[in-house]
Formats: sequence, structure tokens, C-alpha cells
Amino acid sequence: MRIGRTTRWEITRALRSKQYLVMTLLIPALAAAGIVAATAGEARAALREPPPPYLIGVILAMILFIGAFMSGVMVLYSVVKEKQNRVVEIILSSVSATEMMVGKVLGQGAAGLLQVSFWVACAYAIASRFAPVSLAELELVHWVTYPLYFTLGYLFIASLYAAVGAAMKDIQSGGASGLVGLVPYAPILFAQIIITQPESLLVRLAGFFPPFVPSVMMFRIGAVPLVSNGLRQVPAWEIALSFASLLLGVVAMMRFAARIFETGLLMYGKSPSVRELWRWGLRRRR
Amino acid sequence: MERTVLHVQQIVKDFDSVRAVDGISLEAHRGEILGFLGPNGAGKTTTIRIILGILTPDSGDVSIQIGDLPRRYAKERTGYLPEERGLYPDARVVDALVYLAELKGLGRAEARQRVLNWLGRFDLTPWANRKIEKLSKGMQQKVQFIASVTHKPDLLVLDEPFSGLDPIHQDLLKEVIRELRDEGAAILLSAHQMSQVEELCDRIFLIHRGRRVLYGTLDEIKAEDGEHVARIRFDGPPDAVRTLPGTLDVAVDVDRASMRLARGVSPDAFVRSLPSEICVREISVTRPPLHDIFVRTVAGRGDANR
Repeated sequence: MRIGRTTRWEITRALRSKQYLVMTLLIPALAAAGIVAATAGEARAALREPPPPYLIGVILAMILFIGAFMSGVMVLYSVVKEKQNRVVEIILSSVSATEMMVGKVLGQGAAGLLQVSFWVACAYAIASRFAPVSLAELELVHWVTYPLYFTLGYLFIASLYAAVGAAMKDIQSGGASGLVGLVPYAPILFAQIIITQPESLLVRLAGFFPPFVPSVMMFRIGAVPLVSNGLRQVPAWEIALSFASLLLGVVAMMRFAARIFETGLLMYGKSPSVRELWRWGLRRRR
Repeated sequence: MERTVLHVQQIVKDFDSVRAVDGISLEAHRGEILGFLGPNGAGKTTTIRIILGILTPDSGDVSIQIGDLPRRYAKERTGYLPEERGLYPDARVVDALVYLAELKGLGRAEARQRVLNWLGRFDLTPWANRKIEKLSKGMQQKVQFIASVTHKPDLLVLDEPFSGLDPIHQDLLKEVIRELRDEGAAILLSAHQMSQVEELCDRIFLIHRGRRVLYGTLDEIKAEDGEHVARIRFDGPPDAVRTLPGTLDVAVDVDRASMRLARGVSPDAFVRSLPSEICVREISVTRPPLHDIFVRTVAGRGDANR
């Protein structure tokens, strides 16, 4: 009941915030501008060639992951802001730290879902102007797994970022906890390898490590049909195993994050080290 | 309904190697204002946070009893005005207040009605739809006070409620606080202005270095302190009052003198002991002000018990 109220409040605040509006509109606008610029000169002819079939899955994976990541950053931002302007103390006299965190994660998540749906619609509208895009290239596996990876991936990233935000002194001093927050983002640096060699052993193994599951697996599920021209897909057992691992990861991360959140929110002064964060996260609750 | 709303038993809280709260016990009753005092860094805020369930104590117990309300709903019946003020700066006054009241279990329509009433009472109606950051410090202060009382709490904790308010609004706030007390709330009031504490509080709790050093009714505490303060204006030789029996720290300035009465010397005994060669024009014998008791208690303990 209280979580319902905090969630509703967070949704309203997210939807009304300037950052949300700017991000929602800016990213498709930039993408459109990029495509227009690219098709203006010589590249026009190259782009007129039909894109390789099955590219759509990879692009969708990219959009969804950026969406989950951005919404996670918004959670971090909102936690740091509320810590700085000291509203947390009053909120914590009404709800528990865990309720506050869950409300934030769910509220921002709902706003993020709306945002990412808008992006997907924009991407489809833009892409279909330049090339024949066929939704038929999306198989059942995409329709089923992408929303789940997005949701669970968001929950993982957002609860991690809620903890990181609670531990931060202010938005400038990322410090040690800021680096921790970059872990789920790491696979993006290797996106090219994941997309061109989605069936290599290392990439397959990375797909079972909870922080990497959402990005690596969405890319793999998009890229395997791409490199095999639609002949193969990621084996079902690998998908099942990755979900099991991610689900465990989400549960563990939410519990861990809730404790850091509880400890960090009312601490002002220096940002804690990674070792201190670890200790906070494992602290037993009385 | 139970008279005692809050029972705090032997709570202890450590932060790393520092013991912030060291075995504090206290009670708060309905219809009373308990002065919750202590110098800076004494463990006041930590104790308040533990009472309100914001922090958990390392040991000891806090129980809030309101009829047979289950423990997990206790937070809905408490109100809190923290010393470090802060609300959503970019939210409208009404929206933030309604939300905070909803978190305390009020329905939206009722929350809204009560918020509007309170805004009216504090002359904030024209500001209801403004963003909080557009309000002056004093107005924000009033908004935050409203946030702590819209749900008519059974236990209300006010930390420095008067700071930043002009005298008119200080008086209004005092009136409201007394009203809430009369309606049956138990109120914990923390303030640095001892005169305000004396004016409002029935009982006093003084914390120093994480421990309870004074606890009782204002009268009891003053009686225990024992020493009266006498002030006289007189005609006659000044030397006549310098060495009165049972007086300490005598200060004479031409026709005025002030002195402390030694422990055990009653005002009556003092007045009778005045020498006949002086003619008294004005006289007062009073208990020491809370301010003096606070300073003496805290300074007297110094570092001795560390």
C-alpha cells in the first residue's frame, strides 16, 4: 500500500522532470539527425542497399539496453538529489528504506518503460523510411525474452544505482562506488565482438554472469540469426540458464542494495570505499 | 487509551567505534510536552531517529503504544520535524504535503482537505500551488511543520521548530503546539532556547555524551538543583549584604546585590536573615533558570566521564 503510493509519486515526478523529457526526445532526434547526415553524401548509395536481414534484433537490443541503463541513472540521480536536499529523513520517518527504494525503482522503471516504447516506435518510424524493415524477422524468442531481459536488467541496474546513489556524497564525487556502477555497462565496450562472434566461448560464458546477462544475452539473441542468416538461434538451455542466473542476481542485488541504501542515506561526509560498501551490504538486519 | 505512548528502554547505538547513544531510557505521555535537550553532538538526533524507527538500535527497545495498533503501523502515527529541513524543492507545496500525508495513511481527498486547512492557518494559502523552492526560508519552515502534523499524530517530534520564524509565527506555533498537546498528542520538543522550553515543557530530558543526565518535571529538576538565586535592591551600607550566612557568589553593585543561596537554605530563611541596617526596596528569590541548570550540568560533567 505504501509502496503503491511511493511508486505513484515517483512516476509522476519522473514524468514531470526536465531530464526525462529531454532524454526521451533528444535521443531519437539525435539518431534521426545522424541518419539524415549520413544519407546526404556518398554514403547515400551504400545505405540504399538493403540492410542485412535480422539486423533488427541487434538494434532493438541496443535500444532496450540504453533504456534500462538510462532509467537506472535516473534512479541514482534522484536518490542523490533527495539525499542532498535532506528530504530522505522525513520520508524515512514514514516508510522503511527498502520501501522507499522499491518505490523509486518501480516508479522510475514505469517511466523508463514508457520512454523505451517511445524510442522503439521512433526507431521503427525512422528506419522504415530508409529501408524495408520487417517485423517478421523478429521471432517468438525475441518477443518473449527481450521484455524480460529489459525488466530484470533494469531491476538489477536500478537497485545497484540506488545503492550507489545512497552511498555518494554528491553527484560530483563518484569515487569508488561510481566505478562499481559501471560494471553492468562494461559489455557495451565489447559490443562489436559480441555482435560479430556471438557464439564464441567467452561471449557465451559472459552471458551467464548476472551483471552482463541483459546486455550480452540480448545482443546474442539478436546477433546469432544475423551471423547465421536466420539459420540458428541461441540454444534454449542457455537462455534458461541465463534467466536463472539473472533472477538470482536481481534478488541478491536488491537485498544487498537495500542495506547499503539504508546505511548510506543518512550518512553525510566522505563517500565510502568499496570495502565499506561491501560491509554495509552484508550487514545483518536486526 | 494508554497514557504512555512511547517507551524507550536502554537503547544503545554505536557508529564504528563511537558510542552515540549509551543506554537511554525515557517515556512520553499523552497530553504532555517533553523537553528533549542536549548540547550539540550529544546523541540527540540519533536518539530521535531511533525513536522514529529511522535507525535501529544496536540493543534496547523502542515501543510506541497506541491502543492496539500493530507495531508495523506505528510510523503512521508519528510526526517528525527534523532539524535539517528539506522537502522536494521542485514540487508544488500542496502536492508534496498531500503526498507526505498519504504516506501516513490518509486518503487523498482527506489529506488535501487537511493540508488546505493548515495552509490557511499559517497564511500560506496564496502559496499552495507554488513550487517549494520559490518560498522563503520561514515559509518552507511552516510547510515542513504542516507536513509533521496533517495526520494528527499521537507522537510528535519537533526538532528546533522555532528557528527561522519571526516572533508572530513563533507565537502561532506555540499556540498550535499547545493545542495538539491538549488534543492528546505526546510531544517531544527539542530547542536550544531554554526560555521557550521553560514556557512550553512539562518535563525535561537532558542527554549528554549519549547518556541521560537529567530527567523529570521542570519543578523536580529545579528543586533538585536546590540553589535559589536572590536579587535585592536596598538602601544602606553595601557591606551589610556581603557576608550573609548561607549565600554564595555575592555580587554587589551600589544599591543592588545578587547571590546564590547555598543548598538547603530556604527562601524563607534567607529573607529572615537579612540584617536590620538595610532597607529592602525590591526583592526576588527564584529557582535558577533552566538555562543555568543546562550550562552547569553539561559543563560540570565535562570530560570527566569519558
